[in-house]
Amino acid sequence: MQKILQRKKEPEFVIEPKKTVWKRIKRYRWLYLFLLPLIIHQIVFRYSTMYGVLLAFKDFKYNAGILGSPWVGLKYFDQFVHQYNFWQLITNTLRMTLSSLIFGFPVPIILALLINEVNAPKTKKVIQTFTYLPHFVSWVVVISIFQNLLSPHNGLINEFLGKVFGMEPKYFMGEKQYFLPAYLLIGMWKEAGWGSILYLAAITGVNPELYEAAELDGAGRWRKVLHVTIPCILPTVVIKLLLNMGSLMGVGFDQVYLMQTPQNIDISEAINTYVMKEGVKQGNYSFGTAVGLFQSVIGMILMAISNKVSKTLSETSLW
Amino acid sequence: MGKKLSDKITEAVILTFLILFALSTLYPFVYFLACSLNEASDTIRGGFMIFPRKFTLENYKVAFQNKEILQAFKISVLITVLGTACSVMLSAMAAYALTFRDLPGRGFVMLFLFIPTVFGGGVVPTFILYRRLHLLTNILVYILPGLYGFFNLVVMRTFFEGIPKGLSEAAYIDGSSEMGIFFKIIIPLSGPIFATMILFSAVGMWNDWYTGAFFVSRQNLKPAATFLQQLLNEADMMESIKNLNEQNIYLTEMEQERQNAVTPESLRMTFVMIITLPIVCVYPFLQKHFVKGVMIGSIK
Repeated sequence: MQKILQRKKEPEFVIEPKKTVWKRIKRYRWLYLFLLPLIIHQIVFRYSTMYGVLLAFKDFKYNAGILGSPWVGLKYFDQFVHQYNFWQLITNTLRMTLSSLIFGFPVPIILALLINEVNAPKTKKVIQTFTYLPHFVSWVVVISIFQNLLSPHNGLINEFLGKVFGMEPKYFMGEKQYFLPAYLLIGMWKEAGWGSILYLAAITGVNPELYEAAELDGAGRWRKVLHVTIPCILPTVVIKLLLNMGSLMGVGFDQVYLMQTPQNIDISEAINTYVMKEGVKQGNYSFGTAVGLFQSVIGMILMAISNKVSKTLSETSLW
Repeated sequence: MGKKLSDKITEAVILTFLILFALSTLYPFVYFLACSLNEASDTIRGGFMIFPRKFTLENYKVAFQNKEILQAFKISVLITVLGTACSVMLSAMAAYALTFRDLPGRGFVMLFLFIPTVFGGGVVPTFILYRRLHLLTNILVYILPGLYGFFNLVVMRTFFEGIPKGLSEAAYIDGSSEMGIFFKIIIPLSGPIFATMILFSAVGMWNDWYTGAFFVSRQNLKPAATFLQQLLNEADMMESIKNLNEQNIYLTEMEQERQNAVTPESLRMTFVMIITLPIVCVYPFLQKHFVKGVMIGSIK
């Protein structure tokens, strides 16, 4: 009898939402245990490195710790800005990010539009399966593959170019002038397929009535793409573009670092690869932190500006 | 309604282009597989290959007999299994807790998680932190920092929110604790999301060359991906040397080696295949789920 009574009491406890905070805390005590490792993890691995940014304004002595090291203000920023390779790093970084924005950014969009035009579902599926694959392979594998394919000694691509166009073998992965095209093409090869998923999803979301209406107005295939599909996916494109603006100061570290050779380092050294070499490998901790902070602050400013511009022009924005 | 001729031509052109692009992403893997199963002395002749011309397992035999390579793969398997298990389990527990909208402090936790996705300390403070925690000589460096990802938590939370609350309420009324409900009701109902998260996490851990290259000082703790990066460096050097002066002593030494069954290049291609094959094998399972995951992630 008592058991039944208890059971009757319990549902009220659950259903009634406005229980006092303490009662809810007591009821959910296990959930706090679930969250505890997460909170600890965030403090130890995320927030403590944020605090580590202070290093940029200090002369770091390992034994004194971050707090104990003496303040030096903007000394390391000053040193970086007046350094011999400052402009070179900025130009290299912008050359890579801007050219992949101009040449690389439209590729997944075009790919999605083309895939959307295929009417055979099975063929479509197979094409998607193959083009997504490189995304899941490590950059180190991708660069190893291209190092082999582009090699001047028996590399498939050089061999092909030699046989078909009679070209001399070229050291594509080493020589300076080929770095940028190789960087762009390998980037597209790996990520274009994967990047198209987002746009394909946006295209699927387009209201079919719009296409019907366009057809009634006598629009052909090309006009439907131009006047229905593209305007409908534009918000997605703008959001993606804004996110890319934020990374204008940071190249894809993995790809660039792995593609660097002594011959191309003059044009392939970007800010973030430089930070890794100076800050971590050479042990100039304070200087490295300062350069890294410089990069992320400019990145954020660029993102805020482009967000503002987009808000006024197209009413699409991140925040 | 019959199609116009121009429409058919457009379709054919688009299809041809797409098929060529798809083949260009697939072929390098086929080529590497063929080369890794081909006799090394034949591979150096070069040329287009779909199937091995002179089939042999010698490359794989040599690779698996090499102690360094074996050690690297042992590390890779260990961190992938351990890291994935810990990461998925802990993330699922946290994500489940965050599905309770009336959980006191929930909003604060969400904000607490979100802030680090926008601001980060950068690579140098991270390195110093790892050094402080003595992680540079510890295998946990591969596992601990990446235990939780904001994206994973959001995707899992969204999935758990889709499970009818009535089930867990009923169990609660029957006297189960939240812990019991999670293990007895939520986990058995969440097969697909667990599969997806396990695969994503495992692929990420398996592919991670970065941690091993910059944050780990002991060679015997470096995983296969980092080992491949070291091989890549060496190959870059070889190529540069060969390019500087064609008739080099290094080259003749290499030629001599080429008389033998295995060349450094064929070994490297085999190594690339050994790293890639597990991913290609799980890829079909991965593909079933990831589109949905990408969508949830992009909405956030």
